[in-house]
Amino acid sequence: MKKIGLFYSFNTIKTAKNAEKIKNAFGDAVDIDKVNVEEIDEETFLSYDNMVLGVPTWFDGELPNYWDEFMPAIEDLKLKGKTVALFGLGDQVGYPENFVDAIGILAKALEERGAKVIGLTSTEGFTFERSAALRDGKFLGLALDIENQAALSNDRIKNWVEQLKGEFN
Amino acid sequence: MSNHFAKPEWNIHNVSSCTGNHTLHAVGVGRAMKKYKHEGVVFSSQGESSVSEGYVYEAINGATNEQLPVVFVFQDNGYGISVPKKDQTANRKVADNFRGMKYLKIIHCNGKDVFDSMNAVLEAKEYAMANSTPVIVQANCVRMGSHSNSDRHELYRDNAELNYVQEYDPLAKYRRMLVRYKRFTEEELQAIDAEVKLEVKKAHKAGLTAPDPDPASIYDFVLPEAYVSEKYPEGTHSFTGNEKKLIEGLNETLKAEFRHNPDTYIWGQDIANKDKGGIFNVSKGMQQEFGKERVFNAPIAEDYIMGTANGMSRFNDKIRIVVEGAEFADYFWPAMEQFVETTHDFWRSKGQYAPNITVRLASGGYIGGGLYHSQNIEGALTTFPGVRIVYPSYADDAAGLLRTSMRSKGMTVFMEPKALYNDPKAATPVPEDFEVPFGKARVRRAGSDLTIVTYGNTTHMCVEVADKLAEESGKQVEVIDLRSLIPLDKETVLKSVAKTNKVLVVHEDKVFSGFGAEISAMITEEDIRKVRCTSKTCGINIYSCRI
Repeated sequence: MKKIGLFYSFNTIKTAKNAEKIKNAFGDAVDIDKVNVEEIDEETFLSYDNMVLGVPTWFDGELPNYWDEFMPAIEDLKLKGKTVALFGLGDQVGYPENFVDAIGILAKALEERGAKVIGLTSTEGFTFERSAALRDGKFLGLALDIENQAALSNDRIKNWVEQLKGEFN
Repeated sequence: MSNHFAKPEWNIHNVSSCTGNHTLHAVGVGRAMKKYKHEGVVFSSQGESSVSEGYVYEAINGATNEQLPVVFVFQDNGYGISVPKKDQTANRKVADNFRGMKYLKIIHCNGKDVFDSMNAVLEAKEYAMANSTPVIVQANCVRMGSHSNSDRHELYRDNAELNYVQEYDPLAKYRRMLVRYKRFTEEELQAIDAEVKLEVKKAHKAGLTAPDPDPASIYDFVLPEAYVSEKYPEGTHSFTGNEKKLIEGLNETLKAEFRHNPDTYIWGQDIANKDKGGIFNVSKGMQQEFGKERVFNAPIAEDYIMGTANGMSRFNDKIRIVVEGAEFADYFWPAMEQFVETTHDFWRSKGQYAPNITVRLASGGYIGGGLYHSQNIEGALTTFPGVRIVYPSYADDAAGLLRTSMRSKGMTVFMEPKALYNDPKAATPVPEDFEVPFGKARVRRAGSDLTIVTYGNTTHMCVEVADKLAEESGKQVEVIDLRSLIPLDKETVLKSVAKTNKVLVVHEDKVFSGFGAEISAMITEEDIRKVRCTSKTCGINIYSCRI
């Protein structure tokens, strides 16, 4: 497996904690660079063919500023050959109309530029009204809800990483 | 920017503090744009909490029904002062409350992002103009500080929330984006900051050092200029043609003014459906003659009737609007917030906007109606500066006052004593071009023993009683028909009081705090040197008098 770039904001607490769990789940056999998304530029982003992106949903279905501010740059990138998996925190009780929307917003933008999105997961066990992260009944990445289902996160991460091991090149 | 500021020459209009009530004005402007085939769109900006107001529903419902190019922008910052949106409505995004409305497009955007907001508003504008239908833009925003100086947001927002709103600061994000994508350098932005700060500082200083207003200026911009009658300066005539009923005087004057001015419009409940022309048929035949574009029904929503009149009048000052404000005056109460709003507009805009509206209301009792078909409301309406209120008793005065109202700038409430519409007592000859200036009372019967001041239905009763008294006792009673309540013809009243030294004020409204009490107080105040006069106020319906 090629080296993975694990992108998330180093200034976050919850997302950073779960990014660390994901790294640990991959184990030492997989080469992973942690990258602070708040400081990235186009060159850094393009330097990885395998990427795991941490993208929590802010407010009523928005990207965090650090991803949103990178979006105009993404719109000009050629991402053919890149394989991307996304994970994101959401709150299915507080924001049931926009549960983990940010995963969907970012995944679709990357796909439009040629990237392959992997790591789709089942919606089973979640209760929400709408989500921009859905495709054919699955999330376009790993949905985590530590506000309401914190106890389920470890297993969800473990299962997802096992799935990624089979899907990454 | 505070919503009280405005720039009329840029079509940015002043709105009141009654949150969201300008949505009705926006719909009125949209109606004018459509009628005049003006290529444009109306923007109404408001907070998400204002959508809880009932009149916002009326506005959006009306904009969809009339298919008007209005964009309603909801800035959703999560709070109405301290009330969170979960206490306002079940949907987290209030725009979703309107999803069932036909012809309505809803666009969501990130109101904390300048570019997303710009794209959403541009899309809304183009859609509204291309389709002549309304759009809602729901912009998710954050409130960085307290609502106002009187609010302390730390009383109801925890530190975590206060931290994340700082993270969301849209200005900081905009700035980062401009620098990151090389639209501006940091130095250039700092130069703009410095320039703006200097400009604000200068304006602040100019404001602080400006002299206090002249106290005499409080009467400026209360009412715009009235139409001046050159032919009938006293509002009297000696025409001796056939008598016409009061309802005929109104109907014929409405039609004559619609022929005279192509920028006249009338709407209201029951105003036009085949042969129906108004609840009492005052506007009968108008839609047939002037068409549906100028004469049309309104929904059963009195506030919408008033509020869209206010808005449509903003489109240009040639427009003259007549509304039947309600089926009966008694039903005008739901329109009160727009009535009050409209009384303020000329003053609040420093004379830059005059709502040119005549509000017709069928008023008073004596038709055998129930509680909500018999009330008088002039006592309440006359307490508001910024409106003229007239109340004719005879056909000629009704015609003359209506013509003056429809040619004047500003708002006039035209109270119609509905019991007299078809009553032969109120029938008179009516000159075709008759005009009655505001503030001109008419002495209906001369006398020297007692002055009766009255208006509307009770004018006729007073004349009959005066005739009877003369017959039985030889005493002569002078009956003054006020015709205008605001402005009030004090001169005619005081002149009569000086002659008779005794006054009886007779009106149909409530004795306590009715309009008659104001007349009585005025006589006492203005005629203080002649306190011999005795003043009584009678409310005819209540059968009581007080001294």
